[in-house]
Formats: sequence, structure tokens, C-alpha cells
Amino acid sequence: MSVLGSILSMTMLAQTARTAVPYVLASQGGVWSERAGVVNVALEGMMLAGGLASVAVAHEHGPVLGVLAALVVGAALGAIHAMVTELGRIDAIVSGIAINVVALGGTRVVLRALYQSSSNSPSIAGFGTHGDGMVARVVLDPIFGAAIVAVATTAIVLRASRFGLRVRACGEGPLAARAAGIAVVRTRTCAVAIGGALAALGGAALAYDQHQFQSGMSGGRGFIALAAVVLSGWRAGRAAALCVVFAALDALQVVLQGHARALQDMVQMLPFVAALVALAILSRTRGHAGGPPAGLGVR
Amino acid sequence: MSTRRAAMRLSLEADVWTIAASVAVAQIAFATLVWMYGESPRAMTALLLEGTWGSAYGVGQVLFKATPLLFTGLAVHVALRAGLFNVGAEGQLALSSLAVGVVGAWLPAGTPAMIALPLLVIVAALVGALWASPAAALRAVGAHEVISTILLNRVADALVGLLLGLGLSLKGGVRTPDVVQHARLSRLDRFVPALAGSAASTAVLVGIVVIAVTLWILPRSRMGREAELVAQNDEACAVERIPVKWRRAQALVLSGAIAGLASLGTVLGYKGYYEQGLGVGAGFTGLAVAILGRGRLLGIVFAAVLFGTLAQGGLAINAYVPAEAMEVIQGLVIVAVALGDAQVRTWLTDSLGAIVVRKTS
Amino acid sequence: MAVALRALLVDKRYGATLAVSGASLELEAAKIHAIVGENGAGKSTLSSIAAGLVAPDAGHVEVLGKRLSPHTARAAIARGVGMVEQHFRLIDALTVLDNAMLGTEPMRSLGRIDRKGARAKLAGVLEELRVKLDPDALVGTLGVGDRQHLEIARVLFRDARVILLDEPTAVLTPKDASALYATLRRLGDGGRAIAVVTHKIDEVLDHADVVTVMRRGRVVSTRPVDREQNRDAQRAALLHDAFHDADESSAATVRAPDDSEKVLLEIEELEAGAELRGVRLEVRSKEIVGIAGVEGNGQRELVDVLAGLRAATRGVVRAGAPIEVVHEDRHRRGLVLAATVADNAILGEYARYSRMVGLLDVRAMRAEATRRIDDGGVVPAEIDLPASALSGGNQQKLVVARALARGSASRILVLAQPTRGVDISAARQIHLHIVSAAQAGAAVLVLSADLDELRAICHRILVIARGHITSAARRDSDGRWDESSTNERLGAHMVAQAVGGEAS
Repeated sequence: MSVLGSILSMTMLAQTARTAVPYVLASQGGVWSERAGVVNVALEGMMLAGGLASVAVAHEHGPVLGVLAALVVGAALGAIHAMVTELGRIDAIVSGIAINVVALGGTRVVLRALYQSSSNSPSIAGFGTHGDGMVARVVLDPIFGAAIVAVATTAIVLRASRFGLRVRACGEGPLAARAAGIAVVRTRTCAVAIGGALAALGGAALAYDQHQFQSGMSGGRGFIALAAVVLSGWRAGRAAALCVVFAALDALQVVLQGHARALQDMVQMLPFVAALVALAILSRTRGHAGGPPAGLGVR
Repeated sequence: MSTRRAAMRLSLEADVWTIAASVAVAQIAFATLVWMYGESPRAMTALLLEGTWGSAYGVGQVLFKATPLLFTGLAVHVALRAGLFNVGAEGQLALSSLAVGVVGAWLPAGTPAMIALPLLVIVAALVGALWASPAAALRAVGAHEVISTILLNRVADALVGLLLGLGLSLKGGVRTPDVVQHARLSRLDRFVPALAGSAASTAVLVGIVVIAVTLWILPRSRMGREAELVAQNDEACAVERIPVKWRRAQALVLSGAIAGLASLGTVLGYKGYYEQGLGVGAGFTGLAVAILGRGRLLGIVFAAVLFGTLAQGGLAINAYVPAEAMEVIQGLVIVAVALGDAQVRTWLTDSLGAIVVRKTS
Repeated sequence: MAVALRALLVDKRYGATLAVSGASLELEAAKIHAIVGENGAGKSTLSSIAAGLVAPDAGHVEVLGKRLSPHTARAAIARGVGMVEQHFRLIDALTVLDNAMLGTEPMRSLGRIDRKGARAKLAGVLEELRVKLDPDALVGTLGVGDRQHLEIARVLFRDARVILLDEPTAVLTPKDASALYATLRRLGDGGRAIAVVTHKIDEVLDHADVVTVMRRGRVVSTRPVDREQNRDAQRAALLHDAFHDADESSAATVRAPDDSEKVLLEIEELEAGAELRGVRLEVRSKEIVGIAGVEGNGQRELVDVLAGLRAATRGVVRAGAPIEVVHEDRHRRGLVLAATVADNAILGEYARYSRMVGLLDVRAMRAEATRRIDDGGVVPAEIDLPASALSGGNQQKLVVARALARGSASRILVLAQPTRGVDISAARQIHLHIVSAAQAGAAVLVLSADLDELRAICHRILVIARGHITSAARRDSDGRWDESSTNERLGAHMVAQAVGGEAS
């Protein structure tokens, strides 16, 4: 099959949808955290932690409890990140990088401890949806549905609920929020915990999709998701849309598998190069409305 | 005592306390992890020390592992003092290593060391600087360098594989051909026979010299001083016509150049060629070294040696406790030191203020 | 009369300074209670403590007889205490409605906000204030006056029964200030207790019912204001309490330079941004010209154009000498607080000290820095301290000394709000430096909202409003200000609509 034929196929569509789920979930995680005013470069580490937690639990207790485990672990990491940043006064970037480092090493340590291998876990079934055709199988996957719900919920809650308003206030004007009687630290911690849980769910989606956990399997998706958040002007819906674009580029790798090796190497670079190019273009044309939350990084 | 001397003395005090605290944190974290594996902390600590500082070979290996960290730690620090996070040292040193390996092999066979080595140093720095430039440019238009440098890491990763596949490697292999004879940096065991067998090379000395020179020049140069001011208040600097964007870009590019130099120890001092994966990890650890080192010669060297010890020690106890545990400890040390950093700085300002008050009253 | 709020023997310490010491305050319902004192007297701190925003180190606050515990903003708001701070606590990126209800949002089920109810409540509040605001407008688009209205609306939205305001008229014209007090009186008549922190004694005599005077952290006196009684006597008493050793008439005798001095700065039909709509003025060597105006009438743009940070859209600036500018926000634009006093003293001048290979002559830099802070009277005179360790007044002295040290004696100096937030003695020193610089040959332009300051040191005062110069005042041959230039008159001109005002 020609290269073009491979790209414009149902396989590509299905693969894109599959690939998009972790990206989209991680991006929503980023939105929650950054809209609350806490820089979060730890999405990558949260995905890894979520992936491992979900597999470790799903192995014995089934996929649903696995997902739950991921959510708990992600929320915990998010809470730690927020508290260390707000109360410990550490730069959020340092804390985020530290979490990434600890997650990478930590998941390998746990992997070794549980399964005597520091690179792979045993296989799990995941949610194993059945259906006619690839696309159906993707769409019927519970986590796929969860991702869509996550995007919608994030957008709605931020806009219409009291919690959402307070989160936005913490992100845009933490000093003013504090003067209005809002517990900024507590609100931010909640928001970042929610974000962590979503990112971890993304990791679980990734692991379930591959039917196992591999060391370092997030492979930079967390950073791409963060780039999507930044590029989309910190908006839930747009970030998700951008993630789909990046996911398509990522999906190219799998779809073009039969073709030349060099082509594959280049394609591997694509999502990252695309993100860089997008950063270059979109950072310039940033209007007032698309800027970062005014209180991002402000305690 | 003049205020200046008082400030210097306080800084030294802070150095000692930071070193002591970080060793303590590493020790506690290590003990806890070891205990979680069901091993005896005391036994494991002894084993770790034996495998690192207990033998001349161990010391040599520690120095070898510390060498790239000297460079990446300095690189991250140079960016940090300008308010920037260069998380791209991994990619910068990967491409730089590839370049050094390729150019080193491509030189005529008889090239004397006097020409080959300086040339390769320039190549290393240039390529590192080059790979930091996109991030510098992006930052100038408003894109945060954390994201762009990390993305560039991934691109570098794939790029290296691509270039090796396209013909830069030996036929059928995943490494570049050997560099010419005189382009190597001598192993330290040539001068200190006791270190026989270890991979430490003169690169470690180069590293210390580079750190000393850089730290000395930066506060005495216009570019260096202004970069620091820009980090502290860019609006006031802009008002005083200090070229804010330009200083940031310069700092990031300089940081990339220094990160590129980390390839000297691995390619020229150790293997004599480049293979994919050589030097991986030095970039992120460089961040830990920079935070722990607080921009002081003593601090950076100590931090590099500390993490080198952990890395080498991890191998020594690998049979009982997986080496990955060391990475976790590293992350915890980062957090602990960063937590303490704010306190240290407040303490420094307050103490200096108190001394001045005492002087003037 | 019912005591709505009582602060009892309150202490507050910031680092080594005792901001408030043993202060007590009683706010009665339906009364306007003024708290006066000079800069640094502790009035803002005391009112912040009363409003629950700052927790005291000793003493406590009672609301309607019950102690405020825990001492937090949240608890205070719940008990009906609201404060409008000097620097507004509004979030630009959110709407008027969002800002108004933040913290006390009316709710529907499932955690959703009852927007309809919130709108209705806000409408009611705005009606009581007799103010119009678009609830869906982004606060970032509002002007200063509207922001203040929103701040007050917020307080009322929370059903506040005690309202404290910190320097509410600092950014208002005399006319708007009167309107504000009329509103406050109305709110007070509704049974609320109102407290106003201000340094404007005349306002107090015109509008307040009770006045508390603070000095150096202590409450010196609390007395009723009687509008029947002799105003000057009350004024003198208040001034005495606030400035024990103050001599009001300490302005140096300033003789205007004659026309033989060269015109160093000429500005014609200058327009920039949205605010500066056409300004014309000239300043001679040895002359100090003041520009009086309320914030937001084009001063910022004028300073930015003169500083070279912004291009004018129309008009010409002719400068016969280099222009040195002291900007109004010293923390953001003047100083790098984390850097040493030495670095700040010569900020941006590294080019002068660059020797070969790009290395700096550190010794020369330190010598110059030492010289500048000595000349400027900065205390403590330690160049290795971080600038953040200096007090506000000394920081400002540092910034002024830096500007004054640059260039030759004959130059153009532009100073924006040179003594804002600075204590009296530091302010006087700064004024002295400005006057000396002028006498040495500089052409000086001072922009300030403080009419008293301008009257003290300027030869001429121009009033800027809506981006134009709307009036001018000058001293007569004896050096006294002419009768038409009372503060009220000048203040009235600050809202003039005149087009293409002439400078004379």
C-alpha cells in the first residue's frame, strides 16, 4: 500500500482516535493545574505513575479497579506537587521535574520489585472491547468515553460552577482571591490533584491500550500535552483538539510501519517538530485573550 | 569586617550547611529505600562506600561518572541565573557527542593533539550551542524554554538515530568509527596508576577548570551581570535599556555550548567513538547538580561527585537493590535542596542585614 | 450609638519595625470615622487588621461585641466587615459580576452558580450606589473610577455592615471625592459603620464625624469633628497630633529663573497612546515645572515618550540635553530588589565600565556606587546589601540619586511621583536634591498627584487632564503662588474638558 494510501485510511482514523486518548486526558490535566495558577511540567511523570498503578492493580483485580488506582495515584502526585510548590515555596518547574525523575526511576523500581523486570510488566487484558471494525473498538472503549466526558466536564465546571470560578480566580489573581476569603492553597491543591488524576488516567489508557506497562512508555506525550495546553491558550476544548492533531502525527508511525526505516525515524520526530513549529508560530500571534493565566506561578 | 567580606563568609557557611544537609538527605533516602527492599541499610551503605570510595578503581569510576555532570551542572546553572530552565542538555550533549565522534574520526590520521583537541572542543561547544538556539529563539518570541528544550531532546534522540542510520555509523553498526589517535583525552590512570582500569580521564580536570573560569568571568562581564539582573526584574532592566531578550538568548546558547562539552569525557576520554545512548541521563542530573551547587565552584563539584557516587554506588549494590533506586534518591535530593534553597537565601539576606545593623548601631 | 467594630490594643510587627503598637479603635454605626496620619503612621496596617486581612501580634478585634476568631479575611467577611484597599483587589481577566460575587457566590444545585440571582443582587447593589456597570464587562477594561465603584459594590454584595476604605480619594478628583463621600454618607445613614483611612485632613474636616490620629504606630487621639466649630482650630489640632514637629511652611524660597536661561525641553502637540492627546510645554534650564494630575490622564504616556520607551503618534519633543527619568513605580521599574545596592546604583551603565574582553572594572563600579548613595543620603550606606533591605524612602532616594548622578549638570530631569509612599523626612531630602539639581542648571519636570508637593518646589504648575494641559499656575515676583491657584481650583481643572490647553 502506498504511503498516501496508508495515511488516508480507516486504520489511520482508528489509530488516531486510540492514540489521542492519553494526550487528551493529559492535556485536561494540564488545563486544571495551569488554570489554577500552578505550572505543571510533571504530566509525564503522572502518566507513568498512573500507567504502572493501573496495570499493577488490574493484573490482579481487573481493569476497573486499575483505573481507580491510577486516579488515586495521580491525585496524590498532583496534591504533592501543589503543596510542595505553594507551601514549600519551590519553583513549580523544579518540583515538576523532580516528580518526573522520581516517577521514572520509581516506576522502574516498583516494576522490578513486582515483576522482576525493570522494563516490562506482564500483559493485562485492559478493557478488551469487542466490536466490528477498528473504529468501533476504539469508540466503545470506556476510557475513550471518559476522555470525552473529561473535556466537557472540565470546560463546564470551570465556567459554570463555584469551584471552577474559584479555581480561575486563583489562577488569574491569587492575591485578590485571597483577599476575597478564598483558600488559595487548598483550591489550587484540589485543582492540581484533579489534573494529576486525569493525567494518570491518560497513562492508564496508554497501558491498557498496549496491554502492558513499559518503563518510560509515556515517551514525551506529557510534554506534548503541555505544549497543546499552552498553544491553545489554556482552553480545555482547544487543547483537546490540538492533541488530536498531535495524535494523528503520532499515529503515522504505526500506520507507516511497513515503509522505509529512515522514513520511520523522521516520522518519529514529527509530533515534536510539529509542536515546536506550532510554538514558534502561535507564540507570536498571541493576543490578550490567549495569554497565560495572570497568576501562573504567583503565590 | 566589611560587608563584602561578611557576605562572602556567610556564603561559605551556607555552602557547608548545604553540603551537610544534602549528604544527610541522601543518606536517609538511601537507608529508607534499602530498608524497603529488606536489606540492612548499614550493610548496603558499607557496600556502596566500598564500591565507590573504598578503592582507587571506585574513585576513578566516581570521577568518570561525575565528569559529564560537571559540565551539565554548570550549563544548567548558567541558564538558571538568567532565569531560564535548560532542560535540553540531554539533546545538546547527544548531538554534540555525535558530532565530536564523527569529526574526530574524519580528521587525518596523524593530526597532532594540539590541533585535534582544541578543534573538537570547539565542535562540541558549537553543536551544543546550535541545538540550544531554537529554544533561545522561541523564548524570544514568548515560548517557554522548558517545553521547547524538552521537545528538542526528543527530536535530537530521533535525529541521532536517523543520522547514524543514514551512514554516519560504521557499516552495520550503531556507532561511529574510532576517532584519530591523538584526539583522545588520556585516562587518569596514566598519571595516577592506582586508578587503573577506571574510565576517568583528564576531562574531569577540564571540567573543573571550565567551571572555575566561567564562574569567575560571569559576574565580571557585562553580559553575565545583566543576565542575572534580567532574571530578577526584567521590567526594570528594560527601562534601563538592558537588552533583555538578547541576554536571555545568550545565556541559553552559552548553556547549550557548555552542555555540549560534556561529550568530551564520554567520547574522547572513554570510548573513543560515539554510540547511541552514550551519556544519557547527564542532562537531567545536571539540573540536580545545578540546584545543589548553587552556582559555587565548591558546590557544583561536590554535587557532581555526590551524584557520581550514587550512580557508581548503584552498580555496586545492584545485586541487592536495583540501580533505579538511585534515580529516585536523586529526585528526592533535588526536592530537599530546592526546599532548603529558599530558606538559605532568606537566611543569607537576614543575616547580612543583621550584621549591617550591628555595624551601624 | 452601637459600636459595630472594635479593635483593642493591637500590635503588629514587620521584621524589625513595629508598624502598630497598642492601638485601639471603635467604629460606630451610621458614622464616618476617619483615620489620619502621615505616611508610615500605621493607618493602613490598623485598618487591615480591623478588616481581618492581617492578623495582629497582640490584641484582638470584636465585631458587634463578639471576638473575630479565627482572624481571617474569610471570617471577617462572614461577619459583615468589608474593606476596599488602596491597591484594588480585582481580577482583570474575570467579569464585573464574577469579581463582585467572588467568595460569596449564590448557589444552585450541584455546585453550579446561580448567575441569575447574582445578577439581580448586583443590580440592586449598583442601584444603591447609583452607579452603572456592565456585569459582563471584563474588569481589565474598566477605568480607575469604575474599579473603585466595583470594589465598593463587592463589599456591599457581601452585605457588609462595616466598610473600611484605604485612601479612596488618592486617585479621584476633588469633585469625585465629594461624590464618594456623599455615597458613603448614604451608606452610613443606612446603619453601616464607615471608616476611611486618609492623609487628606481637609476631607476629614469636610466629611467625617470622628477622626483618629495616628503617629508612628500609635493612636495619638480620637475626637469628634464638629462642623459648627472653628475649622482652622480643629485643623491645627489635627496637624499637631499628626506631625508633632512638622513645619508646614518649610518650602524653600524658590525664585523663578529669568528668560535668559536656555529652553532645554520643548514639547509640541505631543500625542501618544489613547491617553495623551496633545500636550505643549517648555522647560528652561534651572526651572522646575510641575505637572499636576490624577493618574490615568496621560502622564504615564508622557513619561514613557520622554524616556524613549514609547514612540509618539504625533508631535515633537525637542531636548537640548539628555533626559533622565525617575519612573513612578520604583519596585517594578526602578530597582532590581534582589540585586545589591551597588548594582542598582549604576543599573544599565555597565557599558561605561567595560574594559577589554568584556570584563568590568568592578572597583570603579563600586566606587561610583558608594559616591552616589553617599550623595543621595541613602541609609544604611552599604552597597553590598540587597536593595530589598532598604526602607521605601531610602529605595526612592537611591533611585533619585541615580538619576541625578547621570549626565552633566545641564540636563533634563523627569520625575514621576517622586515621593509616593515615602516618609516625610525622606521626601524632604528628595525635594532638596531636586531643587539643588535645578539650581545647578537642570531643567526639571515633576509629575505628581500631590498638589502640596508641587507647590513646595515648583516654579510653575501645569494641570493635565484628559491628555491635555488644561491650566497653569505660577508664582508672582515675590515667589508666592497667585490667588487663583488654590488646591480646589487646580483640582477643578484636573477634570477640565478644554481642548488644546496652553502652557504659559
